[in-house]
Amino acid sequence: MDKIISLIKTDFNTTYGLSSIAYSFKSKKNRWQIIVFGLAMLSLIPTYFMIVKGLGSMYDVYSQIGQRSMFLLSGFLASQILIFVFGLLYVMSKYYFSNDMGHLVPLPIKPSYIIGSKFVTLMISEYLTSLPIILPFIIIYGLKGKEGVLYWIYSILLIGFLPVIPLVLASVLIMIFMKYTNIGARKDLIRTISALIFIVGMIYFQLKMQTIARKALLEGEDFLINLISDSNLLVKKLGLIFPPSQWATLSLANYLNFGGFSNLLFFVLIGVISFIIMIILSESLFFDGLIGNIEVSASKGKGKKIDNKDLSRETRPYWALAKKEIIMIFKTPVYLLNAVGGVIMIPIILVMSSVASGDQSLKAALEMMDPNSGLLLLAGAGFIVAIGMINSIGTTTFSREGKSLWIQRTLPIKVSDQIIGRVLSSMLIQTLGTVAFLASIAFVVRLNVFDMVLMAFLGLLGSIPMTQLGMVIDILRPMLEWDNPQKAMKQNLNVLIGMGVGTLFLGAIGFLTIKAINKIDLYLIYILLIGVFVLSTIILFNILEKLIKKQFEILE
Amino acid sequence: MLKLKNISKSYGKGTIKAVDDVSLDIRPGEIFGFLGPNGAGKTTTIKMVVGLLKPDTGTISVNNIDVWEEPLKAKSIISYVPDNPEVYDRLKGIEYLNFIGDMYGIPKEQRQRKLEHYLELFNIKDAVGDLIASYSHGMKQKLVLTSALLNDPKLFILDEPMVGLDPKSSFNLKEIMRNMCNEGKTVFFSTHVLEVAEKLCDRIAIINNGKIIALGTMEELRSHAVERKSLENIFLELTE
Repeated sequence: MDKIISLIKTDFNTTYGLSSIAYSFKSKKNRWQIIVFGLAMLSLIPTYFMIVKGLGSMYDVYSQIGQRSMFLLSGFLASQILIFVFGLLYVMSKYYFSNDMGHLVPLPIKPSYIIGSKFVTLMISEYLTSLPIILPFIIIYGLKGKEGVLYWIYSILLIGFLPVIPLVLASVLIMIFMKYTNIGARKDLIRTISALIFIVGMIYFQLKMQTIARKALLEGEDFLINLISDSNLLVKKLGLIFPPSQWATLSLANYLNFGGFSNLLFFVLIGVISFIIMIILSESLFFDGLIGNIEVSASKGKGKKIDNKDLSRETRPYWALAKKEIIMIFKTPVYLLNAVGGVIMIPIILVMSSVASGDQSLKAALEMMDPNSGLLLLAGAGFIVAIGMINSIGTTTFSREGKSLWIQRTLPIKVSDQIIGRVLSSMLIQTLGTVAFLASIAFVVRLNVFDMVLMAFLGLLGSIPMTQLGMVIDILRPMLEWDNPQKAMKQNLNVLIGMGVGTLFLGAIGFLTIKAINKIDLYLIYILLIGVFVLSTIILFNILEKLIKKQFEILE
Repeated sequence: MLKLKNISKSYGKGTIKAVDDVSLDIRPGEIFGFLGPNGAGKTTTIKMVVGLLKPDTGTISVNNIDVWEEPLKAKSIISYVPDNPEVYDRLKGIEYLNFIGDMYGIPKEQRQRKLEHYLELFNIKDAVGDLIASYSHGMKQKLVLTSALLNDPKLFILDEPMVGLDPKSSFNLKEIMRNMCNEGKTVFFSTHVLEVAEKLCDRIAIINNGKIIALGTMEELRSHAVERKSLENIFLELTE
């Protein structure tokens, strides 16, 4: 037991850097950074409250049709599915790609201890993502329905166990996945591609399930009668998407009678049992998927033989830098999944969700837009620009260097080459995303070639200042002390700050564009946008030049 | 060649002086050894020369170029090998070498000539097609050494270069250092291996608590010590 507690404590400390936060708070500069970040987070609160207010009206709607419990189900489903999806990524990097495994495996501890302790730390991360979602649902339901003390006690228990089942599922799936993809030299590539396919498949499956559940619900003549007679009808039908969410909902909706209690018991018990099963499975699954990762097959010179051409390949510095960035992104699974995966998958998922669910709303909305108004074209370009920040390439460009940043700092590289090279790498990936996006919307709506080209051009041009904005944030507070590339990208606050700043930038331009539409000529708007993008590129380039020079000198 | 003038660096609001008013003048064609116990300020000093740490006071110049005023010019004639070779482990060895070559703007012919020579010498020619992640510590060290020698540096700075090298590579490295000096270039390195310093260096400086406590040729160091035997005795006596 001591071993487990010590493992959890250490893992917790290294993951959340408690010791290093306490240490960094001593320095004045870091203290300011934490305060500024805190303020930035506070500024998001109004938006959050607007969403919560919207949830209030959603509750009222369900309440009116006598299906209040459906409101709770939405909350449980949203949080548990999110935990599962994030869980897949977290588990993958935490169990298999964190560097501490190299130290842990040789120690005399069972694999189940390692998995158990990592699981606990992951639970904490998952609370951070799921609490802001589930809490408003539970609080609104409890307050508006004037529920009693037992409701709140049940809620605390349910929230406590909320991440267990989805996280166990994610863990087991990933352990099986890693065990059977632990093959050959190209396993990183195999894994990344299968992971992408897997995620797209999961989403498709979810959407399909939802449609089936919804259709089943509306079929039959007695629907309306049943709706009135059973206040949990919607939950019983739609909850099949993810049964644990259904149990949680039913336990809260009926907390006063035995049915509620038995559902609570069921939820908790299944959680505990599934955790135990996972721990038992980990003994036989975990090391099989892991060991090959650590070995990285010691170099025996089996790689491709190099020839004279390789020895004398000369490239311009900025181009060499871009090339290096791209290789690193494509060869590091976490980067590939986040930067490239996101850029390509978001548009595909967007379109798939409309196709899979047979939902015509997206298509209808797109067709409603007058093609001559240019609104569709501008929205599309705006989407591409937004992806320029979501891809996180700019906001992590220096963080990704990590401990290797000394290379950049001791080489005679011009600052302008630094900027151009890094922007270039982002633009190459943006181009991939743009192609995926254009191909996706071509499925839904018909656009002529000229509009498509113009959309891509505007979008890509706008992505340049977006990437630069990200770089400004990242050079000001690069996250260089990491042992797991996951930290440089997924646990990097710069990504979040970048999205905030990017939203402001894009929001302001979008707002002005909407104001200008129908008032001035469409082509003038395009030209003005080009002007704004070029101007901000130049301004940001100058800012970056000064910042990089300064920061490269003072970073320690 | 390399001039450090009254450089100081302190950490933690100036309470801990890592380097305290250090001045050194290292001549062209010289192999200069930098010794000192752990935490004495060796790596801090080296980092200030290569542009990784800005000194609080003092100036550093290489070939009369101030490294903090004209960093690009200075860096283009310096090569640096850190104590811990943290390099891009997702690149192949050859990709890394070409990247470094591009950054120094090394022309094709020179690149090919140097690469063929050093890859052969360090016996990593067969490995450079592999991912750096698969390299051992020593192989990474050899890769970084190769990359540092590509641009034919006028000033070669190494932090603990012998750590992790096999005997043959370590011998080769010493030969390289010797040859560089014969060509009028300068080598500045820190080490804990006193035998290496004793045999190889033209001059030696010993740093302790951020201050230079001894500086000179082996002969000069011997003449100041009570027990005039090996460098080990002198070192132990001075850093007590």
